[in-house]
Amino acid sequence: MLLAILFSNFAGHIILKRFNGVPSEERLHWRTFLVKLGADNLKGARNEERAFCFFTKNSNSITSMNLVVKFKSVYIVYTVLGGVRIYIVGKDEYDELALTEVMFVITSSIKDACGKSPSERLFLDKYGKICLCLDEIGILENTEKDRIRRRIGLKPPNPTEI
Amino acid sequence: MAQPFLKKDDDHDDEVDYSPFLGIEKGAVLQEARVFNDPQLDPRRCSQVITKLLYLLNQGETFTKVEATEVFFAVTKLFQSRDLGLRRMVYVIIKELSPSADEVIIVTSSLMKDMTSKTDMYRANAIRVLCQITDGTLLTQIERYLKQAIVDKNPVVASAALVSGIHLLQTNPEIVKRWSNEVQEAVQSRAALVQFHALALLHQIRQNDRLAVNKLVSSLTRGSVRSPLAQCLLIRYTSQVIRESASNTQTGDRPFYDFLEGCLRHKAEMVIFEAARAITELNGVTSRELTSAITVLQLFLSSTKPVLRFAAVRTLNKVAMTHPIAVTNCNIDMESLISDQNRSIATLAITTLLKTGNESSVDRLMKQITTFMSDIADEFKIVVIEAIRSLCLKFPLKHRSLMNFLSNILREEGGFEYKKAIVDSIVILIRDIPEAKESGLLHLCEFIEDCEFTYLSTQILHFLGIEGPKTSDPSKYIRYIYNRVHLENATVRAGAVSTLAKFGAMVDSLKPRIFVLLRRCLFDTDDEVRDRATLYLNTLGADGAVEDMKEFLFGSLDIPLVNLERSLKNYEPSEESFDINSVPKEVKIQALAEKKAPGKKPTGLGGPPPAPPSTIDAYEKLLSSIPEFANFGKLFKSSAPVELTEAETEYAVNVVKHIFDGHVVFQYNCTNTIPEQLLENVTVIVDASEAEEFAEVASKPLRSLPYDSPGQTFVAFEKPEGVPAVGKFSNMLRFIVKEVDPSTGEAEDDGVEDEYQLEELEVVAADYMLKVGVSNFRNAWESMGPDCERVDEYDLGPRENLAEAVNAVINLLGMQPCEGTEVVPSNSRSHTCLLSGVYIGNVKVLVRLQFGIDGPKDVAMKLAVRSEDEAVSDAIHEIVASG
Repeated sequence: MLLAILFSNFAGHIILKRFNGVPSEERLHWRTFLVKLGADNLKGARNEERAFCFFTKNSNSITSMNLVVKFKSVYIVYTVLGGVRIYIVGKDEYDELALTEVMFVITSSIKDACGKSPSERLFLDKYGKICLCLDEIGILENTEKDRIRRRIGLKPPNPTEI
Repeated sequence: MAQPFLKKDDDHDDEVDYSPFLGIEKGAVLQEARVFNDPQLDPRRCSQVITKLLYLLNQGETFTKVEATEVFFAVTKLFQSRDLGLRRMVYVIIKELSPSADEVIIVTSSLMKDMTSKTDMYRANAIRVLCQITDGTLLTQIERYLKQAIVDKNPVVASAALVSGIHLLQTNPEIVKRWSNEVQEAVQSRAALVQFHALALLHQIRQNDRLAVNKLVSSLTRGSVRSPLAQCLLIRYTSQVIRESASNTQTGDRPFYDFLEGCLRHKAEMVIFEAARAITELNGVTSRELTSAITVLQLFLSSTKPVLRFAAVRTLNKVAMTHPIAVTNCNIDMESLISDQNRSIATLAITTLLKTGNESSVDRLMKQITTFMSDIADEFKIVVIEAIRSLCLKFPLKHRSLMNFLSNILREEGGFEYKKAIVDSIVILIRDIPEAKESGLLHLCEFIEDCEFTYLSTQILHFLGIEGPKTSDPSKYIRYIYNRVHLENATVRAGAVSTLAKFGAMVDSLKPRIFVLLRRCLFDTDDEVRDRATLYLNTLGADGAVEDMKEFLFGSLDIPLVNLERSLKNYEPSEESFDINSVPKEVKIQALAEKKAPGKKPTGLGGPPPAPPSTIDAYEKLLSSIPEFANFGKLFKSSAPVELTEAETEYAVNVVKHIFDGHVVFQYNCTNTIPEQLLENVTVIVDASEAEEFAEVASKPLRSLPYDSPGQTFVAFEKPEGVPAVGKFSNMLRFIVKEVDPSTGEAEDDGVEDEYQLEELEVVAADYMLKVGVSNFRNAWESMGPDCERVDEYDLGPRENLAEAVNAVINLLGMQPCEGTEVVPSNSRSHTCLLSGVYIGNVKVLVRLQFGIDGPKDVAMKLAVRSEDEAVSDAIHEIVASG
């Protein structure tokens, strides 16, 4: 189950959120928890019981580093993309590996929508488009950035993809 | 909730320094939303306003009912525009606004129109929106369209309908379940994504019907699944089916294994990995089954993609815990991963190597780890330390280099958890490997000379007090201990004083010198330190019995600290001094009856259930708190609860057999499941006429058993000391039942005596055997030596197959299978099974079973037993002979 996707700026303000099957009374708790997690860890210091970090497919730079935490029964993968922090929470089959793939889908389609790793400003400029991206990704209904781009523009997918 | 937008991070931005949403305000945006009503719509402008609305909603802004309705009505006007971008935004904002039921009707017609539109993309999106905002009644109206959409030839439409089905299954399962046929058809779709979504939905529809899932898996594993994602799902469902069927049949043949193995040759990496992982996670997987899976994982180890390397090494790490031998082939690839720039991969590689390495590779490995340790975080280091600890226990001969390694890293910088892990490891090694003791203690001594953690210092001092006096030269530790009295805080100083006293008590030659040191402590600035010094000087100096003194210093406090604390608080200073014997020893027990509190369903992000407390400890505490059983000695074994009633009966009773040297105690855990009844004076009448060697000595009734709050009653039997007596007991629950008024919860005064027949209970030979594994069976077997070995051959008669025979013998003996030998490869004609355990009287027992099967399924077995006592070896043979 993909439980939550959150975006915050560096000051810790939530910019964009998507919850899936999380009771509303727990959402606030998760917002606070994740933002704190990012503030503590994405600057370098870490104090979670067990943190793994690994580099995603394309580069070794710090901007594409994913941090992974197993907290109680859920997995959290979070990262920095340009001027925003992204947090993904999943459980069961959405383990750290699956979530890393989800993160890849999200970051690549956002980069696609913005034309590059977005600064916070650029992210907000393209806010509407990014909302659409997330809507298309849904609970991992689409995983390829090209397909997502076409669907945002209400264009049918390439015949070759089908 | 809305946060005013603050300054952005300069590092990442050289554009103009303000946000497009700077100073955004709900009222103004609602005002702007009026453009939706313009007769000449400006799509661009409208999209911008929708974006602002989305931003507000995401900031946690709430709209009043009136505001929301107004915006919603305005948004519906936008369906007039033909602009694609705007239409897409409209779909999103409708979902976000999540309109109430009466508003939904307004937009339904527009969406229905889109749903039947010629533009496929409109149809797909309209379906998703409608399904999201709709309720049951409306859903029945559009059900027909949705069913059509599922089998639509356009994959986008079909996918949208299927995914909506997955969402709707949460809210309207009965409706979605009616779509089974269409979904089944969609599974055969040529479009990969449709197939994937259809399979997920179909499985969710049928997940509670085991037979249907089985059928689904059987049909799909034969056919071809196009989408790699769907193939991954199929693998997961397949392993679920395997898990469930394995518990039913013990034949050794594994259904669908061929399918999983076939997936290892798939062209998509994710499918290969999923299959390999599924194989490694099979229950009781054999080495032969593992081989192919491990081969592909090995290839992934040298992949250029970090994710693949991580996935492979993580899976192999798990396999190494149960089948270390199977993973050894990958050791060369693992070693190159130690220098992987990704630290989690490197850590996993190291810990795997530590599990699979052989004795000769230890030194080389340690050299590599030393360089690696400096650049990883504490969390990783702890994982490595734990692995090193188990490696050292596996290869005791290597203790020197491993202990050196531990002491070296102990000197380096590190946090509390890390240091604690190292100290714990050293302590465990000292306990388990006698040769490592002296060097280990010295390392600990050096550590406390410069230790910043009070907790660790006191722990080490305590440990030194117990182990130090038993070494060849106890005097060399005194310096380190006494230094603490000068250099540390009060807590550590007090600990050091106690440790000194222990040396004084145990080593006579040191006693006079210890006295000198203790006397110096009498002038300490801290009360506790002075008090302890005085106390110990008096105890050690007194001519009283040495045994008493040792008991005082080394004996454990058999009173729960909570109770002691309460008694001390209640004690009022008076003539009468405080009597420690007046402190109750009874421990408050709960949760022993392992009845889960009903109605507490884990929510989405809830934590896992707390780990059960160590049951043996809990049992021991419980039994020793009951005066009747207090003199039975040490508890040898407690069995798992045996149910004495069927499920769903009025009274649920299970029994735990507690075995002592000369006694057996039955603990009956009773639960009253009738709200209108209160049971009192609950006892179990046990008829032991078929258990000749047992004589009932005590029975502890349960005073009251209210509804749904489990309680225990006990019956104790005496049996010949140290003899593994067996027998059959029949049980009858006897009690006084009182009616309870459900409205007030009060019970009537008068009750009626009643009885309730329970199932029979047996004490068998396996109850006298503790399941204790050994890490290396061969070493243990060799070191036990052939002195008390007994070997004999048995004919087990006709059996279904080998696996069944092996299981029967394991259950009969109640011993721990070692090295995964309890699993019999399918169709094998012979098998060797290794067992280990501890027999009553604390005698270690090792068993080597060799099975052979011939044509008409006659099984013969050769049983070799080694133990520390030949009588026990004989007893094991007797158990098998009479079983």
